[in-house]
Amino acid sequence: MTSLLEVRNLKTYFHSDGSVVKAVDGVSFDVRAGETVAVVGESGSGKTVTALSVLRLIPDPPGEIISGEIRFAGRDLLSLSEAEVRKIRGNRIAMIFQEPMTSLNPSLTVGRQVGEPIEIHQRASRKNAWDKCIALLHKVRIPDPEQRANAYPYQFSGGMRQRAMIAMSLACEPELIIADEPTTALDVTVQAQVLHLLKELTRETGAALVIITHDLGVVARYADRVNVMYAGRIVETGQTSEIFNNPKHPYTVGLMNSLPRLDGDVRFALQPIEGHPPDLANLPSGCAFQPRCQYAVDRCLAKPPELSEVNPEHLAACWVDLNVTA
Amino acid sequence: MSQPEPVLVVEDLKVEFPVHGGLLGGRRIGTVKAVDGVSFEVNPGETLGVVGESGCGKTTMGLAILRMIDITSGRIVFDGEDISTLERAAMRPVRRKMQMVYQDPFGALDPRMRAKDIIGEPLVAHGISENREAYRERVSELLEMVGLDVVMGERYPHEFSGGQRQRIGIARALALRPTLVVCDEPVSALDVSIQAQIINLLEALQDELGLTYLFIAHDLSVVQHISDRVMVMYLGKVVEIANRSDLYRAPKHPYTQALLSAVPMPSPDAEAAREVVLLEGEVPSPLNPPTGCPFHPRCSMARPDCRETMPVLTEQNTGHKVACHLY
Repeated sequence: MTSLLEVRNLKTYFHSDGSVVKAVDGVSFDVRAGETVAVVGESGSGKTVTALSVLRLIPDPPGEIISGEIRFAGRDLLSLSEAEVRKIRGNRIAMIFQEPMTSLNPSLTVGRQVGEPIEIHQRASRKNAWDKCIALLHKVRIPDPEQRANAYPYQFSGGMRQRAMIAMSLACEPELIIADEPTTALDVTVQAQVLHLLKELTRETGAALVIITHDLGVVARYADRVNVMYAGRIVETGQTSEIFNNPKHPYTVGLMNSLPRLDGDVRFALQPIEGHPPDLANLPSGCAFQPRCQYAVDRCLAKPPELSEVNPEHLAACWVDLNVTA
Repeated sequence: MSQPEPVLVVEDLKVEFPVHGGLLGGRRIGTVKAVDGVSFEVNPGETLGVVGESGCGKTTMGLAILRMIDITSGRIVFDGEDISTLERAAMRPVRRKMQMVYQDPFGALDPRMRAKDIIGEPLVAHGISENREAYRERVSELLEMVGLDVVMGERYPHEFSGGQRQRIGIARALALRPTLVVCDEPVSALDVSIQAQIINLLEALQDELGLTYLFIAHDLSVVQHISDRVMVMYLGKVVEIANRSDLYRAPKHPYTQALLSAVPMPSPDAEAAREVVLLEGEVPSPLNPPTGCPFHPRCSMARPDCRETMPVLTEQNTGHKVACHLY
């Protein structure tokens, strides 16, 4: 199967006070048509910067895409002009942000905003865009869409705002939707509603979905494949069930052992990962995880490991074979 | 085994906030019942987990128990003493025994104070230490107790990571040797790998010092891990309270069931085998709560009487109480 999105060796750095923060440092991954891919990692792992790079939304300065390729449907997005990127963004690739209150314009009605991509990309009249917007709001199950379309974002609850964001992202029937922590700000029961809706609608429209999250439960429930990020790199990638049942990178293993879980045995203490994530402006030598890794050997300090095959659908970037060591 | 005296008894606690409106906001237009008739006990050395979504009143309840906000009515009995109507001065010695750990380790620490002074401040405020030497020793002991090097006491809050800041917050809370610690979302601002460090620390400190915790959080997995008993709140009311295993294995209230079902488990196999119950709608505004059972508009099991009368919290089996007309 050919990939809809191919990211190759992406490096996005930020310049601050004479130092260079390597937010994304050589990331490669694929998204195939119609699938759901998760990017999971903790704060500062580079997952949001990866998403913003794909959409060419990195503020420059201070940010800069240093190198790499981002091929979407066969075209390298990094070589396109700003005007050409604008034709793709919000049209063929849509983004859903974490905080719907700050990503919606407070002074425009929800209806105008949801209809805006249709006006811009499909040159629809305002009337046509409005009608289509009502249909979209109906689709994301906002009650009384005709009335609610006239409301302003502050009149919506958090869950409703995120539904409106989903409606907006679907407006031009994109091939790819990138959702950056779409439900982190929402309550548990509303989070489940919104993610189910997103999954259902992407399945219906055939759009591929990239979910950026820190929640391994969300990954397990919704993603077909997963990329685990640490300090600007993908350290492990593969089918979701394979990664959860057979994790190979010590960081992935550590994350899973440190999670309290509803299906877990509560009599045992959690096994945290000791220490803290590294300073991205001052990365340790070799593998970035090495200072926190209980399996680290000399080689880990000397050279950062590249992703290598565990099996054809599972890659991990680690010098140590956990099966042998453990 | 005789039942020990509870550390904390809360009886029919109500906290209401006036809502002002009108042209200059001078007119009182309503009342928010943030905590609406909550009763429970906490036994010595145990952890009572409190879960619920935003607006359920869990944080307000924690603050009210510590008398950091005014209560409207009800009784709070701490260590056998009714503290619900104590004056400020009379509360001071009580406060030494009840402390709080806050959610936001960034906002809760004074950025202009060194860690050692932040931790030692309660000792100074309460005039505890006999002399400088005793003070310094106690601060060092506290730093070590929470897993920080004594030299780190010289640093300022911005020099610490989120997890380390939470350790400072915990050390400060423990400075006065409290019996009860109210933890309000102590790990929700932290990354998963750091969260586990802090949970383990809180558990180790409880064993070592015999602490009693009121552990307020929205994360059901964290609460399950740390709690002996768990209380579920919805719109200012307790809807269910039970032992950890009863609550998680055999939840009775439809809201508890839906809440547990909504949490995705970090296991694709378990998720594939699971049937997820999705709730309709969101938590209603506490300004205008539904009549009868506050959960009835979202409840798939609701009957006509749910709309009319609020079900009373009643014991189903030992220690397992639920407020629902179905039982």
